[in-house]
Amino acid sequence: MSRELFLERVRRAVRQGQAYRVHVSPAPAGTGYVGATGDLCEVLAREIEEVGGQAYVVADYAAAREFVARLLRDEQVTSALCWRHAVLEQLGLDSLLAELGIERHDYESLSALALSQQRRVQLACDVGITSVERAIAETGSLMMWHGPGRERIASLLPPLHLALVHRSQIVPDLFDAMGLLIDRGAGNLPSNVTLITGPSKTGDIEQQLTTGVHGPGKWRVVIVRGE
Amino acid sequence: MNKVDYLRQTHHEFLAAADEALANPKLQVILGRLGDTLGQRNREAWAQLPGSDQVREQARAIKEATLAELDKHLETLETSVQRLGGHVYWAEDAAAACRYVAEIVRSQGDKRVVKSKSMTSEEIHLNDALEKAGAEVVETDLGEYIIQLAGHRPSHIVGPALHLSAADVAEILSRPAGRTLPVERETLAAFARQELREKFAQADVGISGVNFAIAETGSIVLISNEGNARLTTALPRVHIAIMGMEKVIPRLADLPYFLKVLARAATGQKLSVYTSIITGPRREGEIDGPEQFHLIILDNGRSQILGGPLRESLFCIRCGACQNACPVYRSVGGHAYGGVYAGPIGAVLTPLYDGLAANPHLPQASSLCGACQAACPVKIQIPEMLVRLREQMVETPAAPSRLEGLAYRCWARVLKSPRLYRSATWLAAQTVGRWHRGERWLRKLPGKLSGWTKQRDFPAPAEERFRDWWNRGQE
Repeated sequence: MSRELFLERVRRAVRQGQAYRVHVSPAPAGTGYVGATGDLCEVLAREIEEVGGQAYVVADYAAAREFVARLLRDEQVTSALCWRHAVLEQLGLDSLLAELGIERHDYESLSALALSQQRRVQLACDVGITSVERAIAETGSLMMWHGPGRERIASLLPPLHLALVHRSQIVPDLFDAMGLLIDRGAGNLPSNVTLITGPSKTGDIEQQLTTGVHGPGKWRVVIVRGE
Repeated sequence: MNKVDYLRQTHHEFLAAADEALANPKLQVILGRLGDTLGQRNREAWAQLPGSDQVREQARAIKEATLAELDKHLETLETSVQRLGGHVYWAEDAAAACRYVAEIVRSQGDKRVVKSKSMTSEEIHLNDALEKAGAEVVETDLGEYIIQLAGHRPSHIVGPALHLSAADVAEILSRPAGRTLPVERETLAAFARQELREKFAQADVGISGVNFAIAETGSIVLISNEGNARLTTALPRVHIAIMGMEKVIPRLADLPYFLKVLARAATGQKLSVYTSIITGPRREGEIDGPEQFHLIILDNGRSQILGGPLRESLFCIRCGACQNACPVYRSVGGHAYGGVYAGPIGAVLTPLYDGLAANPHLPQASSLCGACQAACPVKIQIPEMLVRLREQMVETPAAPSRLEGLAYRCWARVLKSPRLYRSATWLAAQTVGRWHRGERWLRKLPGKLSGWTKQRDFPAPAEERFRDWWNRGQE
């Protein structure tokens, strides 16, 4: 059946279906906006813990750097899959990883490899280190806009995902985060936008919560309050 | 493992399967643990969404408006996907959809396919078709992976392996492992992670379903808790997405309303762990994501439903909440329903897709208590639709019984005449009422009437009629 016949059948059904439309009451604008009040850093941290992650609010980048160093040492990380992002540069991630003797992989280094080698390296990394486009306080979610230098696999393949969020990236509600995307215009979306709300989970064995089945089982978020 | 024919694709008897499920103690233990979507966890999640009922109304209004102009939105979707360099295929039925997918897979040369959970692909029996075409297809959702190895059908929209115990799962996964795995959830999940990573790393084609397709942007939205849908769409070179045509929504701005209700209804989460908005294949310079994007738009009976009185069933966003809320589903489990979609919405969808004559018991498999509608994030009026299907059955019975017709005509006659009604109730009290003094229920009716008491008891007539008791009190 051709496209035209398919659509013609739909058109006919749409016409016939007019007789069976059901009553609905569209809600006024602003419906469903929950938002978050008070200290957004604290709300975000609380919600992240609520969904099974661990969140740490730190005063500034220097404190964040110390904290990240301790975390990477504790987790005995030897190789990291990293984004290129202004927040990570502020932290001085490159020099930190060098100090700790952690092998660093990112867009530039991966692009230089053959495809099969790329895959092998990516799959072997112990940690994925990213920032976010926005973080949503209400739900404890990280909104990632993916593109070159901000790989989707960084928050996906390694068993540990470590994200750095700056206070200025936090929005109260899902509607705020989606609003930014909508403002870009329908023809101008990134190829992949992902909301992450927790470590990878499944309830497929006896409906009991099991973490880390495909994505990272450990999800750590460091929230930087100041500069 | 019990004896139910899990691979059924042909004739199915709901009553026999329900009896078998009720007599299966292991299944009853598992169903007894089923989280209630009207229960504590979901109630808490809803409570944290002020005006949640209005949000559900809004989601419903978007579905209604979209279906009223479905053809236009589908055309817009096509234009948007093509603008991004994606390919769109129009599949009028299951066979056409399978053919398109098989052709795309074949054209890639390599035939290793990974799949993330998709009820639509179950509906069209895609795996069978691809295997016949010589492809290796691996389900990657943990529940789907387990039942694929076991050769079962999914028993729940969200938790396909719900009918299995941890011991069953350990036994099933021990086969590919080549050793006996312990009955520990973490170990079993870790084994599956490792096995499936290999498959992801090797596969050239990833197949997914579609939770929502956004017409104006050409995006598809995939929601999962495990992350397998992300892997399926990040690693393989080719991504094929299959959508029922009712999954389209007009605008990106419509999406948050659905996101706010879907996970709350399904699992009592505010949002599922991963929500991906995928807009076309990878762009210039990107090193992950598919190089090709193919979108299959499936009719397979949907246009017929769209033009009929049960059109509202196309609002369904496949969250599974009605199943967990339903006392019948919670008693007999998913396989008893026989179709791909079980539970209350399955009792509507299966007769619509597969024919009412082949599934005469499904519209009856409900007490019409309304729990499904209360749990539904888009407030589908499932009980009304079940009644509507029952009406259709009476209007066009598969095997009209003259005796039954006569009996109902007599019954109507008695109810219409106060004199006849008084006499009939007097007679019942004097005979059956007396014979069964002190009993409230009759377990078995005689002769032809025994059909009624096969599935339920019949209320015994009282020895003294209400009107006699009342009059006695007045004296």
